Amino acid sequence: MSQPEPTPKTGIDPRSPRFGAAITAVLLLVDLFLSLVGATAAAAVLLLAIALLFAWGAFAGVQRHPYGAIFRAAVRPRLAPPAELEDPAPPTFAQGVGLLVTGVGLLLFVAGVPLALPIAAALAFVAAFLNSVFGYCLGCQLYLLLVRARVIRRRATA
Amino acid sequence: MNGFAALGILVALVAATTVVGLAWRATTGRARPTRGDEVVEPADVGAGGFGDRATLLQFSSEFCAPCRSTARVLGALAEDVSGVQHVEVDVTGRPELADRFHILQTPTTLVLDGTGAIRARIGGAPRADDVRTTLHHILGSHHVSA
Repeated sequence: MSQPEPTPKTGIDPRSPRFGAAITAVLLLVDLFLSLVGATAAAAVLLLAIALLFAWGAFAGVQRHPYGAIFRAAVRPRLAPPAELEDPAPPTFAQGVGLLVTGVGLLLFVAGVPLALPIAAALAFVAAFLNSVFGYCLGCQLYLLLVRARVIRRRATA
Repeated sequence: MNGFAALGILVALVAATTVVGLAWRATTGRARPTRGDEVVEPADVGAGGFGDRATLLQFSSEFCAPCRSTARVLGALAEDVSGVQHVEVDVTGRPELADRFHILQTPTTLVLDGTGAIRARIGGAPRADDVRTTLHHILGSHHVSA
C-alpha cells in the first residue's frame, strides 16, 4: 500500500524544481508587465516561450529541463548536498499544469480574448511563486481534485 | 496603462501571493482534533490491521512529493511509540476513499485511537511535534478510559 521509494539514481534534488519555479515566476512577472503596458506582441511571444519551456518539462521530464541543467551546473555546487532525493514525477506534473494554464491563455488570446494573456500570466505566476518560495505542491491539491471528479481513473494497486 | 500603474499591479500581486503563502504555511500540517464519532475499520482502507493503541492513517497520491517525506516521519514516529502503527493508503486509484474522508489534499493524515475512532486530522505534511502531542493525548485518555 505504500508507494515505492524513489531510487537515488532517478531521484532529483528537491531544490532544483524550486529554483526553476523562481526563474519561471520572474519571467511570468515580466510577461504580465509587458501585457499591462500594452506591449502585447512581446507579451504573447514571451508567454509562448514560457509555455514551450513548460512543455519541455512536462514531456521530457524535469530532469532534462534546461533549468535543471543550470541548477546542477551553477547552483548545486554552492549548496550542501541534499538531505534527500525526490521523485521527479510530482514536479513533472506541475510543469504540465503550467503548460495547460499558459496554453489555454495563449489559445484564448489568439481567439480574440486579449485579457486572457495577463490573466494566464498572473495565474501561472501565483502557482510558480508559491511553489518556489513556500514549497507549495500543486500536484498535491489539484491532482486529487481531478481524481475525486473521476477525471483521472487509475486501478487500485494497493 | 502606464509603467507606474503596471508596476503597482505587480507589487500588489506579489504581496497578495505572499500573504496566501504565509497563511498556507501557518496552517498546513497542524493537527486538528475531531469529535471522534467516526470509526474506521482496517478493511475499509484495505489495511491488514491497525495499531493496538493508535494508528497514523496517511492518505497519499501519485504526484505528491511531501507524501514521501511524510511517510518517513510518521513511520519513524510509529517505530518510537509501542502500539502505534503507520498505515499509508494511496487514494489515486480509490477516489471513493477520498470522498468518504473528504480528502482535499495529500498527504492527509487521520490519527485513530485504539478503537479506530478518528481523533485528529492533519492536512499537509504533519509537524512531528503536533503528532507526538496528539498521540500522547490519545494514549493518555485511552489509558484513563480503559
